[in-house]
Amino acid sequence: MKNILISLFSIFIIFACSSTPVEKVDVQETRTVDLTDSSKQDDKVLMSDLDLGEAYVTVLFDYDDDTLREESLEELFAVSSLMKANSSYTLLVEGHADERGTREYNLALSERRAKAVEDFLTATGISSFNIEVVGYGEEMPVDNSSNETAWSKNRRAELFLNK
Amino acid sequence: MKRIIFLFFLALEFSADLVLEITESAIKPIKIAILEKNSNSFKGQEIINVISNDLKRTGEFRVLGIDELLSIPMNEDEVIQRDWLLLDVDSIIFIEVLDEDNALDVAYSIFDVSYNEIEDKRKVLGLPDSLRQSSHYVSDGIYEYFYGIEGISSTKLMYVTRNADIHELIISDADGFNEEVLLKSNNSIISPAWSTDAKEIAYVSFENNRAQVFTQNLATGQRSLILSSKSSVSSPAWSPNNKDLAFTSTKDGNSEIYTINLKSKKITRLTENLAIDTEPAWSPDGRKIIFTSDRSGSPQIYEIDVRSKLKRRLTTEGSYNARASYLDKSEIIFVHRSNSDFNIAKLDLSSRNLEVLTSTKNDESPCIAPNGNVIIYSTKEGNLSYLAGINISSKVSFNLPALYGELKEPAWSPFLR
Repeated sequence: MKNILISLFSIFIIFACSSTPVEKVDVQETRTVDLTDSSKQDDKVLMSDLDLGEAYVTVLFDYDDDTLREESLEELFAVSSLMKANSSYTLLVEGHADERGTREYNLALSERRAKAVEDFLTATGISSFNIEVVGYGEEMPVDNSSNETAWSKNRRAELFLNK
Repeated sequence: MKRIIFLFFLALEFSADLVLEITESAIKPIKIAILEKNSNSFKGQEIINVISNDLKRTGEFRVLGIDELLSIPMNEDEVIQRDWLLLDVDSIIFIEVLDEDNALDVAYSIFDVSYNEIEDKRKVLGLPDSLRQSSHYVSDGIYEYFYGIEGISSTKLMYVTRNADIHELIISDADGFNEEVLLKSNNSIISPAWSTDAKEIAYVSFENNRAQVFTQNLATGQRSLILSSKSSVSSPAWSPNNKDLAFTSTKDGNSEIYTINLKSKKITRLTENLAIDTEPAWSPDGRKIIFTSDRSGSPQIYEIDVRSKLKRRLTTEGSYNARASYLDKSEIIFVHRSNSDFNIAKLDLSSRNLEVLTSTKNDESPCIAPNGNVIIYSTKEGNLSYLAGINISSKVSFNLPALYGELKEPAWSPFLR
């Protein structure tokens, strides 16, 4: 009799459970990757891996534009002459954008700005093998403020000479 | 890490205004009360707090506080119907905490006031240290009961923070609690993206002084570089079937869209012109990709058929439309410049009707919750950048306050339940 009661009771429990939707909480484990104290990669094959100090020349651009301004050309001709006179010199051109608009579009835009500098220099006779181009988008502003003065300074290409 | 959580606690203690800025209620919120059944335990109160805040944050519920009630029943049998009809309460949620043997289960029933009976009964099996997550499961069950679509309280958010020179890629619960750092770096991290199965993530890291795309396994922390190139690789987006990754690269001289099969590593080039093509996002069926291109002279959104490579332009209004994603198969959201402000806008692909959704000034990186009803984006006010969100159906907006120097690049996880 007792057994029957127990089994009846368990049937009741099973029935009760099946009528109540049950879900189990899934907790996901994660792991932290810390790059801050790991030393940089050893094979510094690219100029962007080197510390080249201050920019040799900085040229500025208009909003959403990668056209070189007329005022920049004189400085770029000077860079061209210097590189022609010293054939061992190589050049790193870093492109940047202001904070407006999207990060990925700005990354592409900044690389085009650096490319515009490269294209100009190759047109003056510098080999593109001696020029490396990199875009940093809006990630490395020189001025963090949100106004036209800051934006105009941030829309730039910086030229670093590797002597 | 704790500061964002602290603010949420403040909000919970004093008022919900800190996190919830209700601008407009498009629908009449459903009025409910949440009570602990046959008990008044500390854990029960904690669970009720989490659920109440989850539901309030949707803007689609009005959760009555204890001081607003006319009577407090211990269980369904003690409900005095008249008291609840007077308050115009739709339903009472009874929560039962089953705290035993290294388990913390939560059973709950939804008591409909007008029918004066229990309409639904459910149970969530959890562990003692998963109290918040168990509560979020209950919130999502309640949300689904009333609105017929899945709730998003049990999903996760991923975002990037920056404090001085430390950049961190973080995931947290959808309410900002339980932050976990996935990647800590001295260089920028942008464009984080979830795999469709939520087991892996992809992002752009500048750790090697240029934009590179990495994938990272959440559980093991194992990382892999998607494509080794001297040119930039960026903007990763997982295909809906989890097999391919779309990305942007300048490896062929100019910014173009590619896909890579993650198993075979086979790369397919999708775009071919002299303009910027970037920010790919997959359609829900995986057949199309929308992207940003400035081939017309200003950034606009285009759609490409992955197989036929047929393209069409989607946006025509405005001089700046970028970073689009599909809300569903007939609507997209993206960053839109109106006058001098950058806002999040929605475009209906058949009616061509464009609607600006946000009123902040520097809005970026919109992403959509997996139930398709909430958009989160990053915005900037002065030197403060923080995350803000909008509920599409209720029009309620909310902020995740930035007590970090910068809080940006949100990415909403797929459903995890």
